[in-house]
Amino acid sequence: MGEHKLSFDDVAVGDEAPVLTHKLTRTDLVKYAGASGDFNPMHHDEPAARAAGQPSVFGHGMFSMGLLGTALTDYVGVGNLTRFSVRFARQTWPDEVLSSKVVVTAKREDGAKKLVDLAVTLTNSEGEQKVVGEATAELPGPD
Amino acid sequence: MTDGAASQEELLKGVIGKPTGTSKVVVERGPVGHFAAAVRSTNPIYHDPRAAEAAGFDAIPAPPTWPFVMEFSGKFTEMQPGDAPSPHPLTTVLGPLLAGGALLLPGERELISPGRVGVGALRVGEGSIVNAYQKESKGKTMTFVVSEMNWRDEKTGEPVATVRNNLICRA
Repeated sequence: MGEHKLSFDDVAVGDEAPVLTHKLTRTDLVKYAGASGDFNPMHHDEPAARAAGQPSVFGHGMFSMGLLGTALTDYVGVGNLTRFSVRFARQTWPDEVLSSKVVVTAKREDGAKKLVDLAVTLTNSEGEQKVVGEATAELPGPD
Repeated sequence: MTDGAASQEELLKGVIGKPTGTSKVVVERGPVGHFAAAVRSTNPIYHDPRAAEAAGFDAIPAPPTWPFVMEFSGKFTEMQPGDAPSPHPLTTVLGPLLAGGALLLPGERELISPGRVGVGALRVGEGSIVNAYQKESKGKTMTFVVSEMNWRDEKTGEPVATVRNNLICRA
């Protein structure tokens, strides 16, 4: 078990995590490239991105998954995720304001394990979905 | 189905279950801290061992998507068993397609974490291709390859995380 942020007894289906909102910058993409080793020029080299037909550099899909990971673990606690999967719907662009949505979709017990399933999305301010996914977290019971 | 398509199907079936190599990774405090900042976490748990200990961890934990990137900062050359197959199964199925101008699209990413990945530990990952198939869609041939890395703690053998990557190639 990990960080104790959320107790199983305190969660209800339909509960939503606090929203994480962030305006994407090129510096974010440089930091993510450096930390992850993804040096695909599409994510940091503006002339190269344009030469490839893109309007500008765009975000790493895994950066978006990382942001959702932050929103998830801020809510369920670090070290409690048992599953986390996403699919990439749209590219993200510098200056977009991205917001996370984390919703509890189920509460269940698997033997002694107390689990919650969550639906996660990262959306821009126009309501366009960038990343859509699911997660499961194992939560502590009451202390 | 043409002969070419039939043989491509055979090629894809042939790589299912094939290993992609073993990787040994050390998880270090500096890279974990930088990665946590890069995914915009403000949790001190990723930077301060006292915060990690107060939260019940033996060592600084890593952010959830860390297993996807940990080879970049922790895969030290002298530790590697050097058993990567040649040719690599991904090269076998995707190489000719990409050389022919096919596009590589990022597919679904999945992480299964039965344990916790933390600083200090040596992790061993065994990679393999778990599925490979193709589908026709709107006149284009879509090739799907699912690869997986199963990571375990080197000392205890305890499973730590499974990372699954879906690659889509559109010809």
